[in-house]
Amino acid sequence: MKAVTDPAALLMRRLLRLLRWRLWIQEKLQFTEWQITLLWAALAGFLGALASLLFSVLAEGIHELLTGYNSGVVETMRQLPWWARILVPAAGGLLAGLTLLFGQRLTREQSSTDYMEAIVIGSGDLPVRSSLLKSAAALFTIGSGGSIGREGPMVQLAAMMASMLGRWRQFSPPQLRLLVACGAAAGIASAYNAPIAGSFFVAEIILGTIAMESLGPLAVAAVVAALTVRVMTNAHQLYRVPAFTLNSPWEMGPYIVLGLVAGTVAPWFLRSLRAAERWFVGTSMPLIARLVLGGIIVGDIAVFVPEVCGNGYTVVLSILNGHIAWAALLLVFVAKWVATASTFGSGAPGGVFTPTLFMGASVGYLFGAAVHTLWPTGASSPEAFALVGMGAFLSAATYAPVMAVIMLFEMTLSYDIILPLMLCSVLAYYTAKGLEGQSLYSEALKRKTAAIPADLLSTGSVRDLMKTKPETVPATARFAEIARMFLTVRINHLYVVDADGRFLGAVSLHDIKPYLGEPDLAGLVIASDIMREDFPRIGPKQSLSDGLAAFLGVTAERLPVVEPESGQLVGSLAKGDLLLALVEKRKKTEV
Amino acid sequence: MDLPNDLIAQPDVVLLDVNVNTRAAALRAVHTPLALVPGVNDEARFLRDLQERARVASVCIAAEVALPHARTSAVDRIVLGIGRLEAPGVAFDAEHPQVRLVFMIGTPKQQVEGYLKLVSSISRLLKTEGVRAGLLAAATEAEFRALLVRGAGA
Repeated sequence: MKAVTDPAALLMRRLLRLLRWRLWIQEKLQFTEWQITLLWAALAGFLGALASLLFSVLAEGIHELLTGYNSGVVETMRQLPWWARILVPAAGGLLAGLTLLFGQRLTREQSSTDYMEAIVIGSGDLPVRSSLLKSAAALFTIGSGGSIGREGPMVQLAAMMASMLGRWRQFSPPQLRLLVACGAAAGIASAYNAPIAGSFFVAEIILGTIAMESLGPLAVAAVVAALTVRVMTNAHQLYRVPAFTLNSPWEMGPYIVLGLVAGTVAPWFLRSLRAAERWFVGTSMPLIARLVLGGIIVGDIAVFVPEVCGNGYTVVLSILNGHIAWAALLLVFVAKWVATASTFGSGAPGGVFTPTLFMGASVGYLFGAAVHTLWPTGASSPEAFALVGMGAFLSAATYAPVMAVIMLFEMTLSYDIILPLMLCSVLAYYTAKGLEGQSLYSEALKRKTAAIPADLLSTGSVRDLMKTKPETVPATARFAEIARMFLTVRINHLYVVDADGRFLGAVSLHDIKPYLGEPDLAGLVIASDIMREDFPRIGPKQSLSDGLAAFLGVTAERLPVVEPESGQLVGSLAKGDLLLALVEKRKKTEV
Repeated sequence: MDLPNDLIAQPDVVLLDVNVNTRAAALRAVHTPLALVPGVNDEARFLRDLQERARVASVCIAAEVALPHARTSAVDRIVLGIGRLEAPGVAFDAEHPQVRLVFMIGTPKQQVEGYLKLVSSISRLLKTEGVRAGLLAAATEAEFRALLVRGAGA
C-alpha cells in the first residue's frame, strides 16, 4: 500500500481522525444541550458558593472593625456600653447610605440589580458594579447589627456571578435567566446549607414551576454550592436541635391551631414591613438619613434588648433548645418585630428570610408554652412547636409550603417532626393566602411586572428567542471544510446558504459520520451533495407555539429561522430556549 | 438488499472505450443511455444537473477517475452508469487531465445516505487490489462486469 506523503492529505487524515474521536466520545457521553446546561449550572453553583463564603467573611470582618469584637452580633451587643449599642447601628446605616449614594453616581445608567426581577421579567443581565455596591452597603448594615438577614446579599452575589458567567458564554435570554436562577439557588443552598430547599425556593417562589427543565439545573447548582461550602468550611446543619417526637396523636390538635395562628400573624408581619417602608419614604428624608434613623431605632431597642440585633439566628437556637423563658421571649419577639420593620423600612439592603424564621420560632414557642400551661399533654414540648412554627410562618410568608417543609427538615435534620410540620405549613399557607393574597416576594414581583410595558410580556415570537449568526457553509463547501466546522463548533446540523445568505438546507453530522474516515470523499463531496433541502425551518414572526410544533417529530435541537419571503437565514432557534420561554410565559400569565 | 454493492455489481449502464475529447462530451456519452433506464423521469434536467454539479466543483476522486453526480428530482431512484473512455482520456479539470473511468450517479434529493454509501463503495472498489487497473485493461464488457462483481463483493 502506498504511503501518504502529501502534507495536505496527512493533515486531512488527522483532522478526520480527530473528528471521528470527538464523535465517538460524544456518542458515548451523549452530551445534549440540557446536559451542557447542567455543567454550567454546576459551575454557577460553585461560583455562587464562593461568593456567599466571601460575603460571610467580609460581614464578620466589618463587624469586628465597627465593634472591636469578633463574636456573634448578639454577643457583641451585650458586651458594648449603651451608647455604643446606639452608635454602631447608626454608623452602619451612615456607611451603607454613603455606599449607596456613591453607587448611584457611579452606576446611574445601569439596570435593576434585583435578581428576582432579572429572572422573572428581565434578560438575566445583573449589573456587576451596582450589585457589588448594594452588597457592600449590606455589609455595613449587617456588620453593624441591623435587624436583617444576610442571605439576601449572598443570593444576590451568587446570582450576579451566574449572570456574569452566562454573559461571558453568550447565553440566550432564557438560558441566562435559568443560569441566574441557578446562582440564586446556590446562594440559598450555601447560606442555609440546604440544597434541596435552595432549589425549591427558586423553583416554587421565583420560577413558579417544578418542571424538570428548570428544577434539574437548580438542583445541580444547589448541590454543588452546598458541597463547596461543606468542603471549605465546617458547615453542618444550621440549627442543632434535640430530637422532637409526636408524643400523642392529640398533639395534632394544637398543631392545627398553630397553623392557623401562623397563617394569621405572618400577613400582619408582612404588612408591618410594608407600612414601615411607606413611613420612612413618607418622611421625605434622604436615603442616608433614613438609614441612620433606622440604625438609631434598632440601637435604642438594643440598649434594652440586644437580641434584636442581627438576623435572629442565635435567638432561634436558644428557643429551639429551650434556653429562653416565654416571658423574656415575648419581649424579644415584640422588640425584634419593631427592629426588623425599622431596618427593612429604612431601605437597608438585606434579606428578611432569617428574621421570618425567628418570627415563626417565637410564635410557635409562645403558642406551645401557652398550650403546655393549660394542657401539658397537648404540648409536651414547646420547643417542638417553635420548630413547626418556623416552617408554618415561612410557608405563610413566602407562599411556598413545599420549600418551607423541606428547608426546615434540611436545616434541623429532624425527621420526627415532619407530620405536624407538613400539616401546619399547609394550613398556614391557605390561611395566609385567604387573608392577604400577597407573599413576601409576590408583591415586589407584581410591582416590577406592572412597571414594564405590557407588550414586552405579550411578545412570544420566534425572533425574540432566536440566536443570530448561526454557523453556515456555502453550497460549494467541501466535505473536509464541513468536517472541520463540525469539529470546531458543537452542533449537529450545519446550515447551507447561497451567496446572498438564503437558506438552502442543512448538513447533518449524523449523515456524514460513517464516512469521516474516507479521505477520497473529502475532496469530492460538497455541501450541496449532502445537504437536506427539506430540513424543517421556521419564520421569525411565527409564535412560540408554532416553534414548538416545528420541533415535533424532529430530532434536531435547533431549527433554522428563515424569512419566508426572501428565504434569508436570520438565526437559529434552540428547543431548550423555547421550552424555558414557554414555562416562563405561563408563569408571567399567572403573575 | 445491499444497495451500493448490488448497484456496483450490476450498474444500469456500462460503456467501454468511449471516444470523446471533452468533459461535456464524456458526460453526454454516459448520460444518453443512462437517461433511458427506468427511474430517470427527466432526461434533460438530469443532464443539466450533472453539468451544473461538474461546473461548481471537481467530481474526480483520483487521477483517472471521475464521479459526475447529481442529487436531482430527475430520478426516482439511485442510478449508476459506468463509462470507460479511450486513452489517453479526457480532462475533467486542471488537476485531472486524463480521466478514463466515469462513474455517473443520479440520486433522488432525499437519499443523502444512499448517495454517500454509493460514493464510499465506489471509492473502496477502486482501492481494491488490481480492480482499477483491471477495469482499465478489461477487453470485454463481460470481463469489465466480472471485475465489478469481484470488487463489490470484496
